[in-house]
Amino acid sequence: MTVGAARKPPHEAVPDSEARPRLPGLRLVCLHAVGRRVPTALAGVVACAVALRIALHWHWDSYGALQLPLVFETGCATAIAISTASPFGDPERATGRWLPFLRLGVALVLTAAAVGALAAAGTGAHLAGGSLDVLRNVAGLTGIGLLCAAALGGARAWVGPTAYMVVAAYGLYTDWHGPALTTPWIWPARPPHDVGAAICAGLVFAAGTVILMVRGTRDPVGE
Amino acid sequence: MTAAPAQAPARPLRAGRPRPVLPGRLLRLELRRNAMLWVLPVAAALFWLITYRKSMALPPLWNVRAMSMQSSALAVFVSPTVGAAAWMGSREGTARPRWARQLATWAATTCWAMVAYVGCVGVLYAVTARQAAWGGPLWWPAAVGAASLPAFSAVGFVAGTVFPSRFTAPLVAVAAFVGLAFSTLPIRGSQSYWQVSPVVAGAWDFGANGGVGTFYHYLPDLPIAQVMFMAGLTAVVLGGLGLRAGSGGRWLRRSAAAITAAGLLAAGTAAGLAGTGRLDAHGMIAIPALHDAANDSPIRYTPVCSHAAIPVCLNPAYTSYLPPVTAALEPALSQVAGLPGAPVRISQAATTYRQGSGNDISSGMAGPSMSGRPPRFHLVLPDQLLGPTMTTSELAAEIRSNVGQDILADVIGVGPGASPAQQAVMAALLKGAAVPQSASSAPGTRQPNTASQLPAPVRSAARRFAALPAAVRHAWLTQHLAALRAGRVSLAQLP
Repeated sequence: MTVGAARKPPHEAVPDSEARPRLPGLRLVCLHAVGRRVPTALAGVVACAVALRIALHWHWDSYGALQLPLVFETGCATAIAISTASPFGDPERATGRWLPFLRLGVALVLTAAAVGALAAAGTGAHLAGGSLDVLRNVAGLTGIGLLCAAALGGARAWVGPTAYMVVAAYGLYTDWHGPALTTPWIWPARPPHDVGAAICAGLVFAAGTVILMVRGTRDPVGE
Repeated sequence: MTAAPAQAPARPLRAGRPRPVLPGRLLRLELRRNAMLWVLPVAAALFWLITYRKSMALPPLWNVRAMSMQSSALAVFVSPTVGAAAWMGSREGTARPRWARQLATWAATTCWAMVAYVGCVGVLYAVTARQAAWGGPLWWPAAVGAASLPAFSAVGFVAGTVFPSRFTAPLVAVAAFVGLAFSTLPIRGSQSYWQVSPVVAGAWDFGANGGVGTFYHYLPDLPIAQVMFMAGLTAVVLGGLGLRAGSGGRWLRRSAAAITAAGLLAAGTAAGLAGTGRLDAHGMIAIPALHDAANDSPIRYTPVCSHAAIPVCLNPAYTSYLPPVTAALEPALSQVAGLPGAPVRISQAATTYRQGSGNDISSGMAGPSMSGRPPRFHLVLPDQLLGPTMTTSELAAEIRSNVGQDILADVIGVGPGASPAQQAVMAALLKGAAVPQSASSAPGTRQPNTASQLPAPVRSAARRFAALPAAVRHAWLTQHLAALRAGRVSLAQLP
């Protein structure tokens, strides 16, 4: 490189199309998604759906059939919760007011993808509780994961959904070996059309998304 | 800052090879920065919610609570332990591949998990010790859990080391829970290799049963195989980690290979032993190669008895059952007390178990209910039989109807070929004792005809006999019971 070349102004050195992308919003969304490992989380969601589909081909006793969807719903919820954090902090703060909406968008899109994938996996097979159960449980478990991400950090966000899975499995167990745990806060143990359980799961999901949107995750940079 | 401190003579750094960190110091460092510390409150809360509350709802019997604890405590601890270990492994996987250092991290994670487990089980056992009337803690169920934690931790740690990602911890935590919970699905009968799963606390699909481990010794056969299997699994997983390139020198990798081989041998042997198990008559899994014949002898005890005309005597472990059982049997016993052939004592008997097809198991009482001279009536409490654990009122109602009927039937001699007079007296005594006649019978109990099923002349004679004052009935029975039992009394001869 010559001195003359070095003295050229940057806008002449870099083509205009590269300096200013045509869709800066889309690029921001893509960078945000990649920074949060959303593709990996999506791959995890798809893997859970495929595994559920394979598992549904086997013969399960009543108790195993009830527990099976819960396991994969938890897997999806943990993948979503972990994808809320970036190892590089929140560089999108430089973009102004968009960061909360990016967080919200990623959480909503991944949750919708998880519900859709698991419901699709259960199509044509005996999925205990059906799609309504999947919607309620995934939303509630994801809400727990998002709350944990806000409180403990993205790397530790799996603790909440995983612990809740154990509680929910116990709730399902008590339906067979009483006394049954009938609180709607243990929504996976309630029937799919239980309004109280749906409200509880919805509240937790709403709380999780709002807190994540406003506060973000509690992650030190580099973790 | 002045120049003086800056010029203070510092300790010269030693050149050459860095000084190795002592294992104890390394472990202390790892204990301080371990992720399991974060997860301990979660594990303790889950233990309280799932294991402790469930155990406290069960009768204060060591066998029931310890066996129930084994399964549920493992289900509680598996996800937090595996997840935390995988998290630590993910850190180690990228930073320090040396086997010795990795083992220190694994050991620290296991230490914290063990501290939580011992603390939780200690509280549960301490409370049970205060509530239980007899017997002592069963250590083998606790030992199986303690042997499982290092294995869980090793599995999680190695997964995190091999696949260092923040997605690894939740993946293996969920997978480990699923693996443990569903490891019992292939079990068919008592000769299944899958019984080596640490959540199996006895004959499968059986639940914690009051009839096991009270009258006869708790058999450590299956727990020994399970501890051996989990120790072998730990060795296989950790040894395998030492086989990786960069884990250490040649001798270290050879040691790791030896540990892996020993672990494989132990785990395989344990699974093989579990497959040779069989359900013994006392409800435990006996493994011939591990069985100690001394454990087949009954446990000696002094029964606790009520102070009634016909005392009710129970195993001291069931002391809390004595008042409701005595109250439930009192109406029936008052009808027959003092009659010739009436039992002089009601004694609790041990339960016997038999393996059916698949996972079906039947339970009942060995031998006749009435035996000996003077006669004694033997009973098994509903909580000793297979089925859901009952509340005190449910248990009393069950005993009042089924055992009460059995006692009266034994004294009157009511059986398949009972005479009309016997049936009439039986119906009258059941009415006098206010024993419900339509209750479902427990397995192994006899159910005489209910009053509505009896012929009209028998019903009429029964009403007539029941209308007599209790003292008159008793006096007539004292005189004529032998003839009645022999079938020599006709309906017309009943007063």
